[in-house]
Amino acid sequence: MPQKPERVFQGTGVSAGVVLGTALKLESHKQLVLKVHTLGHMAEEEVQRFLRAVDLSKTQLEVLKRRLEDKVGREHSYILDAHILMLEDHGLLSEIISSMRTAHVSAEWAVCRATDRLRQACESLNDEYFRERGRDIENIVERLLMNLSGEAHESWAPLPEDLILVGRDFDPSNFALVELEKVRGLALESGSRTAHTAIIARSLRLPAVFEVRDFLSSVTTGDTVLVDGDEGQVTVNPEPNRLAEARQRLEAFQAVLRQSSPLPRSPAVTLDGVVISIQANTELLHEVRAAKSCGAEGIGLFRSEFLFFAHPRGFPSMADQLETYEMLGAEMHPYPVTIRTLDVGGDKIPAGFDLPKQPNPSMGLRGIRLSLKNRDLFATQIEAILRASLRGGMEIALPMISSVEEIWQAKEVIQQVRERLLRASVPLTAEVPVGAMIEVPSAVVILELLSREVDFLCVGTNDLVQYTLAVDRVNPEVSHLFQPLHPSILHSLRRIAEVSRALGKSVRICGEIAANPFFTVLLVGLGYSRFSMNAYAIPAIREFIASISFSSARELAEKAMFLRTAGEVRDFLTETLPKLVKIDLTPYLKEIRSPDDRTSLSYVS
Amino acid sequence: MIRQVIQVENRLGLHARAAAKLVRLACRFASSVHVSREGANQRIDAKSILGVLMLSAAQGTRLVLLIEGEDEAEAGQAIRRLFEERFGEEN
Repeated sequence: MPQKPERVFQGTGVSAGVVLGTALKLESHKQLVLKVHTLGHMAEEEVQRFLRAVDLSKTQLEVLKRRLEDKVGREHSYILDAHILMLEDHGLLSEIISSMRTAHVSAEWAVCRATDRLRQACESLNDEYFRERGRDIENIVERLLMNLSGEAHESWAPLPEDLILVGRDFDPSNFALVELEKVRGLALESGSRTAHTAIIARSLRLPAVFEVRDFLSSVTTGDTVLVDGDEGQVTVNPEPNRLAEARQRLEAFQAVLRQSSPLPRSPAVTLDGVVISIQANTELLHEVRAAKSCGAEGIGLFRSEFLFFAHPRGFPSMADQLETYEMLGAEMHPYPVTIRTLDVGGDKIPAGFDLPKQPNPSMGLRGIRLSLKNRDLFATQIEAILRASLRGGMEIALPMISSVEEIWQAKEVIQQVRERLLRASVPLTAEVPVGAMIEVPSAVVILELLSREVDFLCVGTNDLVQYTLAVDRVNPEVSHLFQPLHPSILHSLRRIAEVSRALGKSVRICGEIAANPFFTVLLVGLGYSRFSMNAYAIPAIREFIASISFSSARELAEKAMFLRTAGEVRDFLTETLPKLVKIDLTPYLKEIRSPDDRTSLSYVS
Repeated sequence: MIRQVIQVENRLGLHARAAAKLVRLACRFASSVHVSREGANQRIDAKSILGVLMLSAAQGTRLVLLIEGEDEAEAGQAIRRLFEERFGEEN
């Protein structure tokens, strides 16, 4: 096979680092294309496994076809006939089987490779109808993969160790399905910096480039891919000289990954003695280790939906959840763990839900609304949290609160569960604090009313920005308008800080923005003293806080309040903050730059 | 070996249903059946649905059929009839 030409694509770097690996193309939302490589002597078994999957697929299609004929008549079942014939196509079958025999690849890999080529051939046809047949092929591939995975449980075992996941998008739930140890990077056609997937990529230190336009047709599973999350660049089949150029940075990044420097746990203190508590946002269980090694003072936000995503066919039982929460509590002891109750909807829905398609999911049935509509599910989660509180400090954070009634209703469920457990003589702690996530503008407006109903407040800055500015952060057409420095956000944040101080409620910032010094300084200046962030960001932010004084932060925040646009705030911060601290702020600049001034803004430290 | 030129007459061309019918028919015979666009070199196996679809033969396309084997005469006739009957499409 001739060497494929090098192709370079520019996207948006959303997670830093440089990495080289083998492409694994993800084909659809529903079926994650798993596994690859070498079984050596097991090739014949693999061929048999493939043939069984083909047979099974054909049987399924025959049944479907008969059903379709009964329902709508013969005229419409012909497309399934074409699908069945594809599964009998000896050209295709022999290509797949021979690659299993000669290259010792797994059935899934062989299927993906052969059909990838076919689909590309389809796409190159002039006639639109025939071009569209690529979708029929996709259909068959999906069915084959589904039937293959039904037989194999250790599906990731034969994969190479250096996967770069490439695809149109990557649903956060897929992190539950992939074997993370084998994933080195991500390159996607869609997505944005603040998308959930980007957040997870950063917390896993997976270099990632999103918004890489029109690149999927140029990459196939098995290609060598260079992902440069610093420059936002993806290179398919890089030339030797490009690799030589990148070598030093590749090695440097590997060195960064290897070094894990557990820090002594000490609170962050400003130069003038203000103590700032920093906790970790987590959702993957192994992040708990990161949280501990980075010196987090507890888990400020455990995104519990991850537990639900990890159950691809249903919901985690009370016992499943209890085990996880107890583990979190025990690991983080004596620090508390805040469990955010199931927050799905928007861009993330676990497989167990059979939700009708919502035309506008971010404004639909999500967060607390979904829990209050599925009270049994909610009660199960509450029971697990209450029981776990015996083992470690637990707190409950209610997501997407927009009214006082929602808090009343949620607390009623909590009270009912508590009473039921006490009647059954289950030992419980006296109190589990209940807090509200402040992430919807209405919650900011009625904050005085909400605050009186809860024990603490958690500001979810990503959603707050999204809902306040009415900007869908995953829509590339408007994602540049997602501006956390927008004056409306700063004024909301000031209001939240003032109200909670006046009412004596504990408040913490649970968004990624707290992990960027340009925001951290504003937040400290506004009076926030509790943050929860990506564990890996904690050491740098602790260092930053130790280098500023509260009084100068306050002065800076006060001045920022008079500015009229996000751009003015940004310019002001990039002008003044570097003079205030000796720390290199260059890496953080990128995050607060708007996409249109990527090249114009230069900053020398 | 039989060589015959056939024009695709049906309105939809060799789309999925027509292609499926052609493949099913070709598979009934022991002879090998190959098709190419008239004037083109690339020959595809008429027993492969993917091959037939890749021909992307719209209405009016002229195809060359090459049939070889013990039942080639029968096969040639049956396939010609399928094209002439416009794959059973009404139009």
